Amino acid sequence: MANQPSTRATGWRAGLKVGAGLAAGSFALAISFGAYAVTHGWPAGLTILMSLVVFSGSAQFALVTTLAGGGMGPALASAALMNLRFVPMAAATAGSLRGGRLRRALEGQGVVDASWVSARRADGTTDREKLLAATLVQWPAWVAGTAIGALAVPSTGFIESAGLDLVFPGFFLVLLVDSVTESTRLIPVALAATAVAGLGCRFLPTGVALLLASVSALMTLRRS
Amino acid sequence: MTSMYLAVAVLAIINIAFKAVGPAILGDHEFSPGTQSVLNALPVALLGGLITVDLLGPKWGDADWTMLPGLATIAIMRLRHAPDLVCILVGVAVTAGLRALT
Repeated sequence: MANQPSTRATGWRAGLKVGAGLAAGSFALAISFGAYAVTHGWPAGLTILMSLVVFSGSAQFALVTTLAGGGMGPALASAALMNLRFVPMAAATAGSLRGGRLRRALEGQGVVDASWVSARRADGTTDREKLLAATLVQWPAWVAGTAIGALAVPSTGFIESAGLDLVFPGFFLVLLVDSVTESTRLIPVALAATAVAGLGCRFLPTGVALLLASVSALMTLRRS
Repeated sequence: MTSMYLAVAVLAIINIAFKAVGPAILGDHEFSPGTQSVLNALPVALLGGLITVDLLGPKWGDADWTMLPGLATIAIMRLRHAPDLVCILVGVAVTAGLRALT
């Protein structure tokens, strides 16, 4: 679907706006990730490189956590499971991206959780410009935050006492409130996902719990 | 050390492949209504899961009650249409305040 230039400009502006808020959350989380990785034996340079080339907080935390307690196989499996959700998420954007296969594959790299959620339209399409702009703002914030955390290594005590560990779930909650306000029929999905994730992460790796929570989206099949 | 570099390289490749495969292969393919409804619900399920996993952590090891009033504040303020950054800052202040008192 070809967008008009004015619509595209609006999308970029909206993406930059939402991206700025999300970048603040990414930045705070990245500081804690950088410090976390270094305290788990990762060199600061490699920690920063990881944020540059992977750019996925959940997978990076999973990799560092699992590698500390086991071999590379389980660590990579855990991190990959964490990011498996990107396959259907990126696929869902396919029709809204532009160009040939290679360009669409490249634009698909803009799919990260919060950007994707904020760029989804009620009709099921994706606001391409909003998606890309929101991600382009968050990426440098994630890398810069990681660098500060890895090089300065603030104590986790400081992060917790300042309440900064609330930033990321807080932003996710803002997005969730917006989503269910727009479509109240999805409230049962949110409640089910919360319950499944809560129960799941008590007994399973968090990546698996997250995947199981995503399965709650299948509830809509029964009602569609 | 070498295994760490290898792990980062492999994870980066996996991540890029996950995000590339759908857009590269599917193109303008249209999903069935059922698939589309699931895809539309996926963000909500994902957000609910991410918040919960982030709050509780592995084996509920990160569970901290002081985050709940902060999150409740964020939700209430957002329902009253407060800007997202304001919601977050007030929520963080609530949680930080509770931690300072306890």
